[in-house]
Amino acid sequence: MAFLELTRVSFSYPKRGRRVLTEIDLALDRDEITAIVGPNGGGKTTLTKLMIGVLQPSGGQIRLDGRPLAGYSLGEIGRRVGYVFQNPDVQLFCGTVAEEIGFGLTNRGYKPEMVEERIQFYLDYFELGVYRNVFPLHLSRGEKQRLAIAAVLANEPLFLILDEPTAGLDAYRKKLLADYLQKIARLGRGMILVSHDEPFVGRMAERVVALKDGRIQSDSGRKGNAAYEA
Amino acid sequence: MKLDPRTKMVMVVCLSGLALLYNTPGQLLLVFAVTVALLMIFHFELSVIGDYLKPFLSLMLFLLVIQCVFSPGGEVLLAAGPVPLITTGGLSMGVCVVLRIMTVAAAAMLFTTFSSRDFILGLVQWKVPYELAFMVSIALRFLPVFRDELSNVVTAVQLRGVELKKVPWREKMALYRRLFFPVVYGTMLKAQQLAVSMEARGFRVYPRRTYLRRLNLLGADIAVMLVCLVSTIMLIALHFT
Repeated sequence: MAFLELTRVSFSYPKRGRRVLTEIDLALDRDEITAIVGPNGGGKTTLTKLMIGVLQPSGGQIRLDGRPLAGYSLGEIGRRVGYVFQNPDVQLFCGTVAEEIGFGLTNRGYKPEMVEERIQFYLDYFELGVYRNVFPLHLSRGEKQRLAIAAVLANEPLFLILDEPTAGLDAYRKKLLADYLQKIARLGRGMILVSHDEPFVGRMAERVVALKDGRIQSDSGRKGNAAYEA
Repeated sequence: MKLDPRTKMVMVVCLSGLALLYNTPGQLLLVFAVTVALLMIFHFELSVIGDYLKPFLSLMLFLLVIQCVFSPGGEVLLAAGPVPLITTGGLSMGVCVVLRIMTVAAAAMLFTTFSSRDFILGLVQWKVPYELAFMVSIALRFLPVFRDELSNVVTAVQLRGVELKKVPWREKMALYRRLFFPVVYGTMLKAQQLAVSMEARGFRVYPRRTYLRRLNLLGADIAVMLVCLVSTIMLIALHFT
């Protein structure tokens, strides 16, 4: 049984006639890294928003861990699936960088010492230590991106969806991110990468799904990269 | 009905003015009914008006309860021992506050029937300085942005695994209080960035502005404005006599 399963999923935005996604069938497991690629406006971000319940499909069904996604609350989905938005500004809402990383854990009742330990680890790993007490929206684009990723990873979700995770990152930070994602993937955390960064996708993805005009144009299947090369 | 944006602005000012002035449920209900009737003339369906007012529901309920409990007067309807909880005076005040909010919010729906460009043009043709008109238009544009911002934060909070519905009321209030200032500050930062972007694109470079289009007040506009203004002045005069 796939961890995340989409069956004939379609979507149109209310009051707009055009279909953004048409009859998408996709099954994603927790032990693979899947990249979703395709041109702008092809429906990649919309597809990932449907996967986390922020948008509701106009047709078809999505199942998470064997249960219909509609039966989960956003909070329940958030505990299972970590989502990094394309624009980090929309997911940074705390007063300081440290609070941002520890927010999920603090509010889920973790012990303060454990939260602090986790905050320190991610501050160090993503080289945000000097900004510990800085207001998150004062950071640069790349720093905000690192913080958004750190804040999601700190929750240790079972599955990750990262929308353009390398946007604004320099080569060194991309490598750090790739190393970390590969490390957690080896521990059994599946993930979806939505990206236009071909070298990053080439290095990370075991499976590449190409979307065009709201339809799956190709799916390399597991452990292959035929679609991306095509 | 096709009316000039300025006519609609006058209607909004008259309706909101009366809503703020009146303080009995009967009077306010009448103003609200007139507002809804006007909106229906402008082809708003009742369900659309209902959907528009829905986000204000929690605020209205909160204020209703506060007014009921803390505005004493009249007969006691509910008491906890010797302490009166709900009085007829408090209930009346609460209903007034709710109707006032509903009227002002519903009247503001008229602003959605014309573009922000027409709004600025209308004010400028009434000799309001362009900068001021633009500022008001931006402020109106920022209200939905701020609402979206709050909605994004609530979504983002839940996606970090926090079950907002299960958080006890008191903790939820503390959480919202903690999130409020960063969100407001974030919106201010965006406003600042907008100002820089506008100036970078030459806003206020030339002291004189020219306009490609002009709005023209037709006979129907003047008639509607006169009816609105005269009836509002009469109602205000009646209120104070």
